[in-house]
Amino acid sequence: MDKELLFKEAFDSIVESDEDKAVEVLKKGEEMGVDPVELLTEGFSAGIKHLGDLFGRGEVFLPELIFATEVMKVVTEDIESKMTGTESAKKGIMIIGTVEGDVHDIGKGIVASLVKTNGIEVIDLGREVPARVFIEKAKEYNADIVGSSALLTTTMTVQKDIEELLKEAGLRDKVKTMIGGAPVTQRWADKIGADYYCEDAAESVRYALEYLSSK
Amino acid sequence: MGKELVFKALRHEDITEVPWVPFAGVHAGALKGYNAEEMLKDADKIVDSLKEVAKLYNPDGMPIIFDLQVEAEILGCNLLWAKDNPPSVKSHPLEGEKTIPCVCQIPTAESGRIPMILDAMKRTKKAVGDDIALYGLICGPFTLASHLRGSSIFMDMMKDPEYVRELVEFCGQVAMKMAELYIEAGMDVIAVVDPLVSQISPKHIEKMLSETFTAVFDYIRSKGVYSCFFVCGNATNQIDVMCRMNPDGISVDENVNLPKAKEITDRYNITIGGNIPLTTTMLHGTQQDNIKGVLELMDSVDWKNFILSPGCDMPYSTPIENTVACAQAAKNPEISREMIRNYEAPVDDIDVEIPDYANSEKVIVELFLLDPDQCAACTYMLNSVVDAFDEIKDVAEYRVYKYFIREDIARTRKMGLTNLPTMCVDGDIKWVSIIPSREEFVDTIREYADKKSR
Repeated sequence: MDKELLFKEAFDSIVESDEDKAVEVLKKGEEMGVDPVELLTEGFSAGIKHLGDLFGRGEVFLPELIFATEVMKVVTEDIESKMTGTESAKKGIMIIGTVEGDVHDIGKGIVASLVKTNGIEVIDLGREVPARVFIEKAKEYNADIVGSSALLTTTMTVQKDIEELLKEAGLRDKVKTMIGGAPVTQRWADKIGADYYCEDAAESVRYALEYLSSK
Repeated sequence: MGKELVFKALRHEDITEVPWVPFAGVHAGALKGYNAEEMLKDADKIVDSLKEVAKLYNPDGMPIIFDLQVEAEILGCNLLWAKDNPPSVKSHPLEGEKTIPCVCQIPTAESGRIPMILDAMKRTKKAVGDDIALYGLICGPFTLASHLRGSSIFMDMMKDPEYVRELVEFCGQVAMKMAELYIEAGMDVIAVVDPLVSQISPKHIEKMLSETFTAVFDYIRSKGVYSCFFVCGNATNQIDVMCRMNPDGISVDENVNLPKAKEITDRYNITIGGNIPLTTTMLHGTQQDNIKGVLELMDSVDWKNFILSPGCDMPYSTPIENTVACAQAAKNPEISREMIRNYEAPVDDIDVEIPDYANSEKVIVELFLLDPDQCAACTYMLNSVVDAFDEIKDVAEYRVYKYFIREDIARTRKMGLTNLPTMCVDGDIKWVSIIPSREEFVDTIREYADKKSR
């Protein structure tokens, strides 16, 4: 089997959410001496990116995406265990959480998983996270991106607080902010000065990768 | 009668006027100064708030409460209460165990907050039920299943669809029981509200949900009332499969293209409701944006099989004047079109003189109205002055301005007013959309009169 075919199988294993197939591809890759990072980037990650795009277009739905993300987790854990220190260097660090007063975290969880499977280190702060904690953690982890999710019209205001506290802490130019959640819009992002409005998980990944590769 | 208009729409008959159903959930409480938690736990406050909705917004139909957590709370979910939102589910009893709850847990008339809700329903029915179609909202079986199982339900759909089907079936039994109780309490329409349906594929819906949902809608129909299926989020892909479950109506959120969705619902002869944008228009827009938005929506579809309503539950702090504007546009589209033209028309050439309030002999009460004959809030504001006028006529006079008369438009602009109805006292803005009580009004006028006499 040639390398290109192996990449295609890796891609398909994610799109089809087939864990057995993914594990088999990993094994074959090892036998063939394929660089695991290349296998991840050209095969598995390309698959999850494709699935994310289909999700964004409303062609696949939440259960399929969550399931594929789980398969992707198995793959990345396996590949990371085979990497040397320099190879496993992350593309960047993202802080993420659902804002204070809000317990809705399904969407945030999907974004965290999907971003993580794209080689970005994710610090998931969970739900009901006060604005100041986003700032403390951004500082502690020297984060590149701060992402916040709000599912209520009344908790959206915490995203504005995050912008202001980042400015106060002198961190605003050091991080990019991403906001999302059902009532959140581009107009809201413009109003509060957030860098990216992410309509769905796929967009979050795209913006994160674009930004980190331009750094 | 407004109620009959809703029924006609749900019976798929021709209509000449669009039924207007504002989803004033916790926002109803805001009209009376109650926070969400206070309102959702107290029948007196619910009834009080809904009477205000009936008075200010002139609805043809309205929900009693918009709280999808009632059933979940009874079935063991912990809730996080908020002042300005319905509660959210914080814990999921089936998160760690993949079981089906015992049928002995299905709610009864005595469970949780149900006795309070039934009381509020019966009293609201008595107060306004002759004129307004009352909606009893129940949590949809899939959203209830997710409340019980948490986000694991999405993995279950992939790995164990039979379990999901069984859990949804149990939740369907809960839905039918809730429908039965609410119908007995006088509800005219039962709305099955299932926001999460927009997140799963039509294939999964057919495999795990359709049978139960169809049974729930059939059950509601067998009880002689109408059924609606409310979904939140972008449900464009799910409309067709939702229609096949055979509800009388479907209500969609703002991110669904209404004319396109209506093409599908019309094929099944199902009524569609929607979808005034909640945040950009109702919460953050101007009064003008709201009139315009509603007119555009009404112009975009054939009125048969259409009910005008917000995309979903209205935010707590939706400005009253914006909802008044929606009601005005819904009930009087032609006059509202004129108003929109007036908003944009140049009136700078009209010279209006602002009264010399400081030197006037009497206190000057000025009512800036949209249309005192058609806009309910405007009528009530005017009546609040007319009814109390005998008590203050020795010290005050009142003037009425209407936003379809050019001179009055110029005056409204010159006063810097953007939201109507507004009542000014000696040039000060005192009440915007809120109708003062007789006592509050008379006291305010007396205060101004005292200042003049000093």
